[in-house]
Amino acid sequence: MENQVATGAGVLTRRRFFEQLAALGGMSLAVAGLEALGFGFGSARAAPPALSGGAKGKKVVILGAGLAGMTAAYELDKAGYQVQVVEARSFAGGRCQTARKGFKYTDLAGYDQVCEFDEGHYINHGPWRIPYHHLSTLHYTKLFGVPLESFVNDNDAAYVYFEKGSGPLAGKPIRKGEIAADARGYTAELLAKCASKGGLDAPLSAEDRALFLEYVIHEGRLNPKDLSYKGTDGRGFAVHPGAGLDPGPGKPSIPYAFKDVLDSRAWYVLSSVTEYEQQRTMLQPVGGMDQIAKGFERHVGRLIRYSTRVEKISQGPNGVSVAVRDGAGQPSVITADYCICTLPLSVLRSVQMDASSGFKDAMADVSYAPVNKIGLQMKRRFWEEDHAIYGGHVYTDMPGINSISLPSYGWQGQKGVVLGYYAFGSEAARISAMPPKERAAFALAAGQKIFPQYRESFENAFSFCWHLDQNNLGGWAEWSPEGRANAYPVLVKGDDRIYLAGEHMSYLGGWQAGAIESAWQQVERLHARVQQQA
Amino acid sequence: MSKRNLPARAAMLVLSAAVVAGPAVAADPPGKAMYMGSCSACHRPDGTGVKGAFPALAGDPFVVGPKSQVVGRVLNGRGGMPAFKADLTDAQVAAILTYVRSSWGNKAEPVNPADVAAARNGGAPAQTRSLQAH
Repeated sequence: MENQVATGAGVLTRRRFFEQLAALGGMSLAVAGLEALGFGFGSARAAPPALSGGAKGKKVVILGAGLAGMTAAYELDKAGYQVQVVEARSFAGGRCQTARKGFKYTDLAGYDQVCEFDEGHYINHGPWRIPYHHLSTLHYTKLFGVPLESFVNDNDAAYVYFEKGSGPLAGKPIRKGEIAADARGYTAELLAKCASKGGLDAPLSAEDRALFLEYVIHEGRLNPKDLSYKGTDGRGFAVHPGAGLDPGPGKPSIPYAFKDVLDSRAWYVLSSVTEYEQQRTMLQPVGGMDQIAKGFERHVGRLIRYSTRVEKISQGPNGVSVAVRDGAGQPSVITADYCICTLPLSVLRSVQMDASSGFKDAMADVSYAPVNKIGLQMKRRFWEEDHAIYGGHVYTDMPGINSISLPSYGWQGQKGVVLGYYAFGSEAARISAMPPKERAAFALAAGQKIFPQYRESFENAFSFCWHLDQNNLGGWAEWSPEGRANAYPVLVKGDDRIYLAGEHMSYLGGWQAGAIESAWQQVERLHARVQQQA
Repeated sequence: MSKRNLPARAAMLVLSAAVVAGPAVAADPPGKAMYMGSCSACHRPDGTGVKGAFPALAGDPFVVGPKSQVVGRVLNGRGGMPAFKADLTDAQVAAILTYVRSSWGNKAEPVNPADVAAARNGGAPAQTRSLQAH
């Protein structure tokens, strides 16, 4: 930008001014808001393909009983195909799983855990929330009668705790709503004052300028007379209003200084709108995400061979054959006309497979994210009782923590399970090297900095590292731009009789909707091929 | 904690780690503790990895091969391996790789911080992290 600004010091100043505002999310309030008007929401596909015309006696073997595999099984079975599903785990759902009392888990590092949460408490250590526009996921929750409840994905009362900023607000828990009010208020004030003096080089007519001012005053909750930001009731009160004369109207809260807000870097949690997949309105199944898996299982469980591992996938001109080994160590071979393979590519790439070398090379081009979560059972819901935080996320820049999330179930109950960290990448690799007890200690030390009641309320923990799960070797596929351009189209196409489905074969990576919509797309392709045969 | 204090604190930590680690556990090479922290979850404390999931580092030709390639792998990641360029300093990457290249029967020349710095210059800048994913 700098080298384009040679026309005068004034322009340069304004440009810098805008760059600073943009960094605050200030201008994006207006710009992204307008862009959003033309933005169509909702899954690309809201309903499964109609597979009409009959299955012509064809048989399909499906590898993996996660949401992709069970979606394919459900739709193909309904269309008349003979379906057999192979699942390595002793239960269905894949990553759609929930840890509650008695849930056993041994990871690749050899750490054994048994979940000791009280009855009724759980942690969704896999998927945990459903954006309202993931219509495909919501198609099946409705179809299978899985009750949903609100998932609080944004909470102005939740704290922001950033240690790496500077100034008096760094290393202090601050309510998100306070930071939002102040950062946007001051930004609006600057903009409003600038605009009122004709200081913006944007081509605003006098009429537009008046409207713009009106908007900015409203957006930042400014004093319309002097265009100043002096705080607003939405950020909270020093003394809350109530009955009679005392407290009566209460006492307004004092905003933080603009410099302190900027220095804190806590504004990092603010944006005009959320990311596409981080909608404020989210849903979760009542009682745990695995209720979705159980919904599928009620319909396709009879087709699943559990505790059975895939050892080799072969194909020829007349069909596919999959060599498997069951839980007792007995080998067998399943033959079919086609195969829909939903194994994560991280796992599939070490399975012997008859496929072209180009196809196999493409599988090597994707990486899988190390992902950690930990559930901490607290004997008292101090976040609700002492802090008035009902659900939502405490964002932090503490390495290995990332966010602490308060449960959206069991409001005002006695106990609750808090998500103590949700970390990805190298931070996750580091924490996962610890034994479960040390992971819990690490999570508690971090949470204690934000909630004084954290450690004393702790009862027990259950931690999960997706990269240390032998059936996943990572939380989700991560595509580089090159991988998307080169490898992804090759894999989406499949290799003759082998079709790939799963979140990794979608642009909704890591989401259940990606798994479901990918399965819809692949069964539709498979069915179209069958229809073309005599 | 103020931003100004951070580098000072970090330096103190490194210093005290060196002071403590030096005489107290004389047998431990400097990169071992960092290897145990950042790498051992997948590649295992004895460098044997996990078959079919995470490659063994003990006796692996790639590990004892050209320095620039090994350094690049740690900085940028690949497959299931995350990129460490945003989390580890040049000195830390060098110490870890020197440890890995001289342990469990591996015998290869040490990696210097300058080797890591050189590899970093060619690499893509670190991506900014999202607050949440999924």
